[in-house]
Amino acid sequence: MRDHQTAVLRPGHMQSRRFGIKMLTPTMVVLLVMTAYPLFFTLYYSFTDYNLLKQLHKPATFIALENYTDLVKNEYFRQAVWNTVRFTVLAVVFEMIIGFAMALLVHSLKRGQKVMRILLLLPYLLPTVTVALSWRMMLSPNYGIVNQVLQSLHLPVYNWFSDIKTAFGMLVLIDVWQSSPFVFLLLYAALQSVPQSQYEAARIDGANAFKTLFYVTIPNIKNSLALCALLRTIDSFRLFDKVNLLTGGGPANSTATITQYLYNFGISSLNFGFGSAGAIIMTVLVLFLSSFYIKRAMG
Amino acid sequence: MKKLLALTLALLMVLSLCVTASADEPTKLTLILRDGTYADVIEECLPAFEEEHNVTCEIQRLSESDLYTGIALDAINPEGTYDLCMVDGSWMAEFTENGVLADLTELGYELDEDVIPATTTICYVDDELYLAPYYGNVTVLMYNKANVEAAGYKPEDIQSLEDILDICQQAKEAGNKGFIYRGDTQNNLVVDFLPILLSYGGWVIDENNQPTVDTDEFKAAMQCYLDLIATGDAEVKDDLIASVDTGAGTMGIGWPGWYTPTADSPADYIALSGAAADGAEKFNSNVYGIWTIGVPANSTHKELAVELLSYLMDADVQKSTVPSGGVPCRYSSLQDEEVLATYPQYEVVCAALESGMYRPVIAEWTEFYTILGTEMDNIINGIKDIDTGLADAQAALEDLMG
Repeated sequence: MRDHQTAVLRPGHMQSRRFGIKMLTPTMVVLLVMTAYPLFFTLYYSFTDYNLLKQLHKPATFIALENYTDLVKNEYFRQAVWNTVRFTVLAVVFEMIIGFAMALLVHSLKRGQKVMRILLLLPYLLPTVTVALSWRMMLSPNYGIVNQVLQSLHLPVYNWFSDIKTAFGMLVLIDVWQSSPFVFLLLYAALQSVPQSQYEAARIDGANAFKTLFYVTIPNIKNSLALCALLRTIDSFRLFDKVNLLTGGGPANSTATITQYLYNFGISSLNFGFGSAGAIIMTVLVLFLSSFYIKRAMG
Repeated sequence: MKKLLALTLALLMVLSLCVTASADEPTKLTLILRDGTYADVIEECLPAFEEEHNVTCEIQRLSESDLYTGIALDAINPEGTYDLCMVDGSWMAEFTENGVLADLTELGYELDEDVIPATTTICYVDDELYLAPYYGNVTVLMYNKANVEAAGYKPEDIQSLEDILDICQQAKEAGNKGFIYRGDTQNNLVVDFLPILLSYGGWVIDENNQPTVDTDEFKAAMQCYLDLIATGDAEVKDDLIASVDTGAGTMGIGWPGWYTPTADSPADYIALSGAAADGAEKFNSNVYGIWTIGVPANSTHKELAVELLSYLMDADVQKSTVPSGGVPCRYSSLQDEEVLATYPQYEVVCAALESGMYRPVIAEWTEFYTILGTEMDNIINGIKDIDTGLADAQAALEDLMG
């Protein structure tokens, strides 16, 4: 009986599978062309000495793992990895705390939520180049408003982006300033979905604000918190534009991230083979960091 | 039948109109140039050429690193996007070695005798011309007039690096910054340092293109550079100019393209004397940052591009760019009495251009300055001492140069 049913259902089932495959095909093609193809070639070039200009006369040669060993042995690359990890941890922690605090604050407002939402989002809406150049002007040792204010208060002034003691901190500060609104936006949306009944129950039970936060709010938005942390981690790990515009990786490599290192030592001298090896290492590191969330999301 | 005839006639008319329109359509030339005054002066000369040759010129203005990458990325295409490109002298070896540039001699262009000979040395490979020196950038010493005077010096009294250090130290004691250097990128750091190194009789490579950065001359120059920058600060280009202009800073290595001094301006520039100390041997210490122009080998309009290059290099056209900040590498412009009456600083520029030094013409220059600049940055920031930093740089550069 069951065999007969299967035999009857099979043509329909096959048809629906074929329909599913047809529907997926355009997406698969786009993914293959736009993601898999470049990734494959990056991987392929990472095993060669491919240089864009030299390639015009002699083809790239296979050098196995030489690019990888050169990278791992290079003290400046190791420093760049350490800088990137340090930057990611600091930026993500501060962005999460500040963004969450902003979301709680706006969520608790009885009036003016819309205005606050727009005002707090503004830094995130600005292009990174504009943000970097604005901060460069504000922190300029000559005409920057920050040093002028410090001077008027008889406080010490700094050459913020050229001083080894301040450059890294300034980059973290600017990134936190620009990206905290992103965390705010996601967490604010998540806060809207927390059932009011749970807050009422907590209030009836006599829970204070601290307990309500840890036993009602956070458990309800923990998935959003994890997603935010993941997205910010990936984004912070790939930091390039701010570093390139503001410090170029200096002073003394103190702000060089992996991407900036690859730009200085690989891409700007058109050594794409070397650059590709670095890109693969970076991808693996980001995948490793993301794996916890992906594993959790896939159940 | 009538309808068919009318339709055919209408179709023929539309076709003929299209053909006529396409025949009259101007040819498009695409120029890839260094952003700033360098591109401005070219752009202002273009309308006359466009009208005369029925062409339209589209300009892409890029920063130095983007310009290098832009030209290189386009070079791998069989048919290039660009018809005229601006090239930094230090890229010449890499570009010609890899066939990026068209042979201008083959295309019928030659430089005339009015062009300052020293500026043309890197333009030739085996007597074949590949580039034309367009914008005469050469390192100069920018200074704030009031700060120099306050230190008891006149510009003509600045005869050595010792004098510069003395002025900067006095400026620092007076509460201003002394020497401002560009420490934002490895390239800027190296180029800023090269005039100091030359004043000590040193250079970064020998005649066999082997690195010479772990030498006594280099160490002495590095120590002098450290003494100079201890009086000031690291700043980006715009801040450096603002510093020297306002007097917040006293001196810095600059380029004529950055600043146009007048009799009333608070800042001015002079050529470095080339002596490390008073009475010491004088070396040629002016480093070229000349922007040359050439035609990419894969340009689809080579003949027209060479005509444009000839037009831009024309003595009269070049002289007309002077009021807008143009610095031609031509005697007829830089020694012209009319020009000198308004822009007396061109006498300094002309002298510096006559005896300048190009950065090493080696295909590995980009990697070379990245390695050297990184180690110099470490020394400046106290991560390594001079001996260790330069020994590390020497080892890495020897590895690079094979």
